[in-house]
Parts: sequence; structure tokens; C-alpha cells
Amino acid sequence: MAVSGLRVEVGGKEILTGLDLVVRPGEVHAIMGPNGSGKSTLAHVLSGRDGYVVTGGSVSYQCRDLLAMAPEERARAGLFLGFQYPVEIPGVSNVYLLRSALNARRAARGVSEIDAAGFLRLVKAKARLMQMDESFLQRGVNEGFSGGEKKRNEIFQMAVLEPVLAILDETDSGLDIDALKVVANGVNSLRDPARAFVLVTHYQRLLDYIRPDFVHVLAGGRIIRTGDHTLALELEADGYEQILAAASS
Amino acid sequence: MSQSTVRDDPGDQAGNRRPWLAAAEQSGSTASGLDWLRERRTAALARADRLGLPDQSHEEWRYTSLAPFTRRWLEHLAGVRLPAAPELVPPALAGVFSVDIVDGMLCAPLLATPPGLTIQSLQTLGPEWRTQVEALLGSTVSARDDSASDSLVDLNTALLNDLILVTTEPGASVAMPIHIRLQATAASALCQTRLLVDLAAGSRLTLSLVCTGTAGVLVNAVAQIRLGRDSELNLVRVQALPDDGMLTESTSIEVNDAATVTVTSVDLGAQLSRQSLTVRLAGTGASANLNGLFLADGHRHIDNRTTLQHEAPSTISREFFRGIAADHGHGVFSGKIIVQPGAAGSNAALTNRNLLLTTTAEIDTKPELEIYVDDVRCSHGATTGQLDANALFYLQSRGLDLSAARQVLTAAFLRDSLTSIALPELRERLEALLESRLQAQTGAAS
Ligand SMILES: Nc1ncnc2c1ncn2[C@@H]1O[C@H](COP(=O)(O)OP(=O)(O)OP(=O)(O)O)[C@@H](O)[C@H]1O
Ligand SMILES: [Mg+2]
Repeated sequence: MAVSGLRVEVGGKEILTGLDLVVRPGEVHAIMGPNGSGKSTLAHVLSGRDGYVVTGGSVSYQCRDLLAMAPEERARAGLFLGFQYPVEIPGVSNVYLLRSALNARRAARGVSEIDAAGFLRLVKAKARLMQMDESFLQRGVNEGFSGGEKKRNEIFQMAVLEPVLAILDETDSGLDIDALKVVANGVNSLRDPARAFVLVTHYQRLLDYIRPDFVHVLAGGRIIRTGDHTLALELEADGYEQILAAASS
Repeated sequence: MSQSTVRDDPGDQAGNRRPWLAAAEQSGSTASGLDWLRERRTAALARADRLGLPDQSHEEWRYTSLAPFTRRWLEHLAGVRLPAAPELVPPALAGVFSVDIVDGMLCAPLLATPPGLTIQSLQTLGPEWRTQVEALLGSTVSARDDSASDSLVDLNTALLNDLILVTTEPGASVAMPIHIRLQATAASALCQTRLLVDLAAGSRLTLSLVCTGTAGVLVNAVAQIRLGRDSELNLVRVQALPDDGMLTESTSIEVNDAATVTVTSVDLGAQLSRQSLTVRLAGTGASANLNGLFLADGHRHIDNRTTLQHEAPSTISREFFRGIAADHGHGVFSGKIIVQPGAAGSNAALTNRNLLLTTTAEIDTKPELEIYVDDVRCSHGATTGQLDANALFYLQSRGLDLSAARQVLTAAFLRDSLTSIALPELRERLEALLESRLQAQTGAAS
């Protein structure tokens, strides 16, 4: 995926101000940055949520114009968004959602629907991987889940859907230490030369478990600095002030 | 408001202000076995004549005009009938005891009713039952504040051709669900159905009432239900009249000590439908669970009025009413909880959720609390809105297209209302039927 010079307005206000980012298969990118700098905005624009006006720049994904695709087309083409605030959908069970989602992807590839037994094996295996009780499968999507359970459920969905590019927006926020390990383990188990991750996070701790290839600092709607995993350590120690000052001078 | 509030008097067009008088003349002599009820019927007709039908000047009828109803009644009396259209055939279910009632009359003598249960009509009713019937017939139907609707009950009493009495024996657990199919045909100008249900102490019953009809039918249904101490009733009521059918329905349920009633009410047909359901929690520890669902698509006008009256200590009510309106449909829900002075320690909760699938549709809702005692817990709330945009996007981000996402959310919305139906086959059919109707909606809207 290549994002170049992306400018985005929300409610008449420019939030992304010319953002560049290239993500290649197999890579793990971490995006850090102050509150309100535009990290979730980027994640939403890439996944096709409406309410965002793209005023400049482009995004190409698998040689296609990503911004011209409907949200579900992006999903079917292997893009996955792990929500910062996962939505509760009472009355729609987790398994129902996953089966519909899997079958929508398969239909887009011209593959027939997954058989019931195969599907059940798959979701049970992934639930085990995420150390999720099987009762969560039958519950309404995120319905009454605790904050941490919702995040874990996002990674569980990702594990079932096996995306090509996963954008995880603060999946580590609100997780206890053990859950953080489980989530990191879930991500690591999916790492693959053909699969890429963009992790939006505020905390260096996640990156102890998932070693990123690149760390970016997003501030003022742009990537103002890129480094390797040591940049995260630097940020953890010094905060954003110095980098922001350096970028503006 | 999409309905005209102008009071239009149907009598003016048809040159007859009181269709019931003509109706009484036409039908009065045909019913047999009614002699012992003559006095009651005459008095009821006189009362109805004095009151007239409720109109929009009554607060309880603010959103619903019966003018088209009365107009059609007059046309029917004058011999005008709509051309025959395909009927909505009531579902035949397996594993239930089916009872067919056509135009308010029991079609055929019932053989081998399940043990612990009797089902009778006026034809079969022995004199020993009269006291019980009189007591039920005389029981209050309308909610305290809806006396305007009394005339509908009186008209039913005055004009009915038959009535159906369902009773259980004390302690009887009737295993087989009773499935009453109420069919209205063009043969009657205004079909009057009257149902009396009396559950003896400690008995259990599952009862479904499905109302269907031929094109253009008018129905005025009244049901009076009494639950004896410790008894349990699971009642399902489905209104599936044809698109041009019209219905007024008045139901009262009296729940005595420690008895429990569970009601599932579904409206999915008719051009005009007004249901008034009053549950009286009359005995200590009585409880009621009420789930409602209406689908006001097309040009339907569907009005549901529920009153939960807590009259005795430690009574519990749980009500969840859902409405969906689409196209040019108009839904009305008024839900009232009344906690009377004698009802200390009671607990009531009423939730109403409405879904508007198009901007041309409308839902008016009014949850009300009237509490006359301190020591109670009550909650109520109503919301009306569109499908949650966040949930829609969430589903899309997982690969479902917009119309599938809309469908999934509307189906989830309505499925919850049907879980209290104790007849699995009926529940599945309703789910499928509602989902296919909504599929047409969500497909068209995206
Ligand atoms: N609908 C909207 N109308 C106006 N401003 C908006 C809207 N949505 C987002 N914003 C603003 O856009 C900016 C970027 O928000 P965004 O959610 O992308 O930040 P973030 O980097 O993800 O922050 P955080 O670290 O707190 O999650 C914020 O200032 C936010 O208030
Ligand atoms: Mg954010």
C-alpha cells in the first residue's frame, strides 16, 4: 500500500495534511503520535468510512485506487481495521458475523461458501489461540464485552479473516498485561511474508512483543519522523516535545 | 403527523350516522344460542349508540382515525364488497391443536381436545357455564383512561354471532399449544370475534391467535383473559390481515396471585390496525412479560396501545415493544404503566425502540408512567431512529455490503421480539416472513 500526499478534511477542518506512508508485504509499521494528531482518521479513511473528505493525494493498494473502493470491497481485498472503539451489535452473533464476512470474501474471489464443519473448526481454533471462551462465539458482537474483551475480539476476528493488511487502532489500549501478550501472540502468529500490519499505539510495551520494522511519528496530520524500533524507546523516554520542536524548526 | 386531524364524519357521506343500527338489524336474528345474552346485548348496543365510535378528539385516539373503518363498514352494509383477492392463509403448524374460527364462529365441533382443556362455542355451551361466561363478558376491557374504546367492546357484545370459551382445569399443564386461526371473510360486514380464556389455578397453557382474512375485511376483535392463581399463559397474537384489511382489537388480561402471563404481539398486515391491550396485575406477585413488534411498511397504519396496571403488591412487569416503519407507513405506540396505591413493592420496566427505514415513514411514541405509591421501581424509555451508522460501517468493514449489513441489523432488531414465542415453528415462520419483507425494504433503500 502506498499513501502519498494524503489530505483529509473532517467537518470542514483539515486533519491529514499531506501524509506519506508505504507499507510492503511482510512489514510491521507502528504509528505513534499525540492525541488528536489524526491516527484514527488515517485508519478510517483507509477503511472507507464516510464523513471524511479527501482533498488531495492518493492511496494505492494492490495496484488499485483504494479510495475509489467501497468499504466492503476493501475488506474483501484483504484490508482489516481493528477498531479503537469496537461497536456493540446486539442480536448479531460473533459467529454469524464471521461466517457472513468469510463468505462475502470467498464470493468476491469466486470461491463457494465455507462448509459448516470447516468453519466451526476454524473459529474454534482461533478462539483457542486468542484464549477466548467458546461462549463468546455465540454472544452478540461485542455485546456487553469488557473493554479488553472487545479488543481481544477484534484480533480474534482478524485471525479468522486472515487479512493481507491489518490496521490495528490502539488495540493495546485497555488490555491487562496478560491480555496484551495474548493479543501480541495473535498478531505474531499471523506474521507472514505476504501480510503486513500497521499498529497505531501509544505505548512502547506492545512493541516489546511485536517488533516493528518501522516506527512513524504522526503529528499535525503528517508523518514527521520515521525510524526503527528504537524510535519508540526514544519516544517513551522523551515524549513528543523534542521531535515536534525539531520538525517545526 | 401524516394523518389528518380533521374530524371527518363518515356518516355524512353514507347518509347514515350509525352503521351499528343497520348491522344489528341485519345480523341480530341470525345468531342462535344467544337468547340468554339478549339483555346484555341490547344494553351494549344502547351504550355504543350513545357513545359512538372513538374519534381523534380522544387523547387515546389522537393518531388514529377510524373514519376509513366506518366508511368501509357502511359500504359493506350497503352490499359493496371489494373484489376477491388472494387470501393470506393462516399457517398450519405441526404439533399443535388447531382451532379454526371463521367470522367469529367456530367452524366445526372440536374433537378430542387435549386433556385438561375445554374449548366451547355458544352452540356447545351448556347452561352450567353461563355464570362463568357472564363474569368474563362483564369484566373490564378498556384501560381506566381509555373509556372511549368501550364502544368497540359494546359493539362486539351487541353484534357477535358466537363466542369462544377456552378453559383449563385446575393444575392442568396443557402440553400441546393451542393454535387459534381467526379468519375473517367478506361474508360479514364487520367481523366480530370474541374470545374468553379462563385459566384455572395452577394450570399452564400456550395459546396462539393468528388473525388473517380476505381482501377488504373489517374485524372488531375482543378478548377477555383471566389467569387464576399460580397459572401460566404464553400468549402469541399475530395480526396478518391483507394489505387492505382493517382491525380494531381490545384485549384485557387479568393476572391473579403469583400467575405469569407472557405475551408476544406481532403486527405485520392490515391497512389500519389498532390494538389496545390492557394487563391487570390484580394478585400479589403476579407478573407480565410483554414483547411487541410491528412492521408498518407500505401504507400501513399500525397503532398499539398497551396499559400495564399494577394493582396488587409485588407485581412485576417487563415490556419491550419494537416498531419498524418504512415506505409511507405510520406506526403509533403508546405504552402506559399505572402503579396503583395498593401495589407497593412493584417493579415495572418498559422499553420502546423504533426503527425508521425511510424518511417518509413515521412513528409516534408515547411511554407514560402513572405512579401512586412510593415503594416501587419503574423505568421507561423510548427511542426512534435509523439503523446505527457505526454498526453499519463495522459490518461493511468486515466485508458485508451495505444492503446485507442493513438486513443483518434489521433482522437482529426484530428477532429479539420473537424469542418469547413458545411455538418454535410459528416463530421461525414469522422470522422468515418478516425478514423477507425487510429484505425488500433494505434492498430497495440501498
Ligand atoms: N467528525 C469530526 N468533526 C470534527 N472534528 C473531528 C471529527 N472527527 C475527528 N475530528 C478531529 O480530528 C482530529 C483527529 O482525530 P483522530 O481521532 O484521528 O485522532 P487520533 O490521533 O486517533 O487521537 P487519539 O490518540 O486520541 O486516538 C481530532 O482533533 C478530532 O477532534
Ligand atoms: Mg485514535
